[in-house]
Amino acid sequence: MTELLQTLVLGLLLGGVYALAASGLTLIFGVMRVINIAHGAFLIVGAFVTYWLWDSFGIDPLLAIVFTTPIVFAIGWLTYKVVVSPVRTAPMASTVLLTFGLALVLEGAMGEIWGNNSTAVRPSYTDESFTIGGLFLPKAQVYGGLIAVVVLTLLWVLLTKTWLGRAIRAAATNPASAELVGIKVAAVAALVFGIGIAAAGAGGAITAVLYPFVPGSHYAWIARLLAIVVLGGLGSLNGAVLGALLFGLAETMTSAYVSPAWATAVPYAIVFAVLLLRPQGILGMRLREDAVPA
Amino acid sequence: MSYFSRRRRLSAVALTSALAFGLAACGGDDSDGGGGGGGGGDSDDPIRIGTSLPLTGEFSQPGQAAEQGYQIWKNMVNENGGLLGRDVELVVKDDASNQNTIVADYNALIGQDKVDLLLGTFSSLLNLPASAVAEKAKMVYVEPAGGSPEMFSRGFKFLFFSQQATADRQGLVFADWVANLPEDERPKTAAYPTLDDPFAAPVVEGAREALEAAGVETVYEETYAIDTKNFDTIVSAIKNADPDLVFHGAQFEDGIGMTRAMLKAGLKPEMFFQTNAPSFGDQFSEGVGEENTEGVFFAVSHHPDAETPGNAEFVQAYEEEYGGMPPEDAADAYAAGQVLQAAVEAVGSIEDQQALADWLRENEVETILGPLSWDENGAPTGEFLIGQWQGGEAQIVLPEDAATAEIKRDWTPGGAG
Repeated sequence: MTELLQTLVLGLLLGGVYALAASGLTLIFGVMRVINIAHGAFLIVGAFVTYWLWDSFGIDPLLAIVFTTPIVFAIGWLTYKVVVSPVRTAPMASTVLLTFGLALVLEGAMGEIWGNNSTAVRPSYTDESFTIGGLFLPKAQVYGGLIAVVVLTLLWVLLTKTWLGRAIRAAATNPASAELVGIKVAAVAALVFGIGIAAAGAGGAITAVLYPFVPGSHYAWIARLLAIVVLGGLGSLNGAVLGALLFGLAETMTSAYVSPAWATAVPYAIVFAVLLLRPQGILGMRLREDAVPA
Repeated sequence: MSYFSRRRRLSAVALTSALAFGLAACGGDDSDGGGGGGGGGDSDDPIRIGTSLPLTGEFSQPGQAAEQGYQIWKNMVNENGGLLGRDVELVVKDDASNQNTIVADYNALIGQDKVDLLLGTFSSLLNLPASAVAEKAKMVYVEPAGGSPEMFSRGFKFLFFSQQATADRQGLVFADWVANLPEDERPKTAAYPTLDDPFAAPVVEGAREALEAAGVETVYEETYAIDTKNFDTIVSAIKNADPDLVFHGAQFEDGIGMTRAMLKAGLKPEMFFQTNAPSFGDQFSEGVGEENTEGVFFAVSHHPDAETPGNAEFVQAYEEEYGGMPPEDAADAYAAGQVLQAAVEAVGSIEDQQALADWLRENEVETILGPLSWDENGAPTGEFLIGQWQGGEAQIVLPEDAATAEIKRDWTPGGAG
């Protein structure tokens, strides 16, 4: 029983971080229909910025999110203005190629700036855990999970309770009509891209504390994040959160009860299964264009 | 008639173009060589040695260290009058830790860059396909890493591994030492978490067999995939098995990840052996925290203080060029250069790759890792050194005649014990 509880808790903590990292990816897709292959690379940028703040100024890496997020937001917004906006309405294949290229450029740039060495951020609580009734809860994971919940809640409030959120949802649902009621879809898109990237950056700050990383770590991340948003339903924030939690649980449960050798494969098997039964993902909406081939 | 003449005209065009391109190419090749020959001759041109290394991607850590080792070897050869009186030039490509890219890279080195000699890459994963390309082209392939037994079961005749032993023997010196501990000090149980990797897995397999034969019960044995980031669940399972000894088959990042997860979960076995990661010096102590390194065992091929011929010069050159102590992978790469150099100088030519391979199979080469020699399949016939972290530094503790410090039994992370 303890083992099961332990596995569940570890799975949920892992899923929380995945959720934060995946939220931006699904948001960007929802508004722009851009599959941002560079999302994992931006996450690693967040991790390196965190390392830099921690290493140079001694700022606690998790508190540093206050700085990391705006920095990464600025990088994301600028990237959108310069690189992505010209192809915003281009076919999806072009944006996939473009963002893949962007990921490679970011990887190279990070290698130039911070080096291709394995980097680890180790605040004082790195190796410590809370113990509750025989369960161990790694402190860094718990703090990271809590921050993920806070950031995701803020994101949810922003999307559902504010005028900006309404504008974003309007632009996502029907860009042409949104323009008609006075929403500048292009400006909204830039903001959403920035916000989405900032969420990845916040996720990166947390993962920096949890795992060592190199610029090339983004490949493993983008594979997971894409699977998560597809599982939850492309474009759905709630779906991304649900998908991330399921993914995290599948990983830890497989590791504990099947074999660690399958831990990174089984979540993808679940994605396949879900896609066979429910191609739009768990919380994804079936669109008219999905049902009727053009 | 018109058909005939058109055909002749076409062939003329084709021939002219071929000549034009051919001459242009020759011009490029022989601008200072004095005509004829077509590259690779006995001129004063530099000897070009090609390699492709994982400078980026998952193995960027060892890949960059290997590049440093090769560069230092090249510099030292050139400062001492070159190889056969000719300067050495390195052609280094980046395979991004990708098995497909490395095949393309070595094909390009041989086919397009037309390098004179090859040097190997890093990790068994990448050396497996790369060495097959070299074997097909019948070019000597000295690899600084890639000790998986799989490498040498293919009957290759141009492959040579420039470390002391293959991976399956890496943990044996340690296992023998454990087996010979007094009854009350010998661990009773052991756990074997292993990365699914052609290098890490055989190390663990070899050590586990030896330890089981010595009566150490196996209480946990699992393999995890290369993209595993989260080790908490694995560690939780090991903790339930409560082993006296954890013998971990790792590369670099997963070694750090596992050690950190063990500390978080409060899994502190009496003894802790880990492959690869602890041999990375500062990178390891920064990754897991210096206070947690005390007593960690690892197998290693090189130590900066070893009294092997040329080692002091290598360590000094490394320090001047890159700062700090040379990582093991830089030393291994340097040794690979030494092996190739020894063969070329003994044979006296770079034309006959078969002669180079035959010479290596029959002779012993002095390197900074100590003397190396090879069996029929290019597998080395020596034994590894066993290292241990003590007082924030990596020391050699086994075998006794190479030891730089006394061996200690226990892992005491955080000073807490």
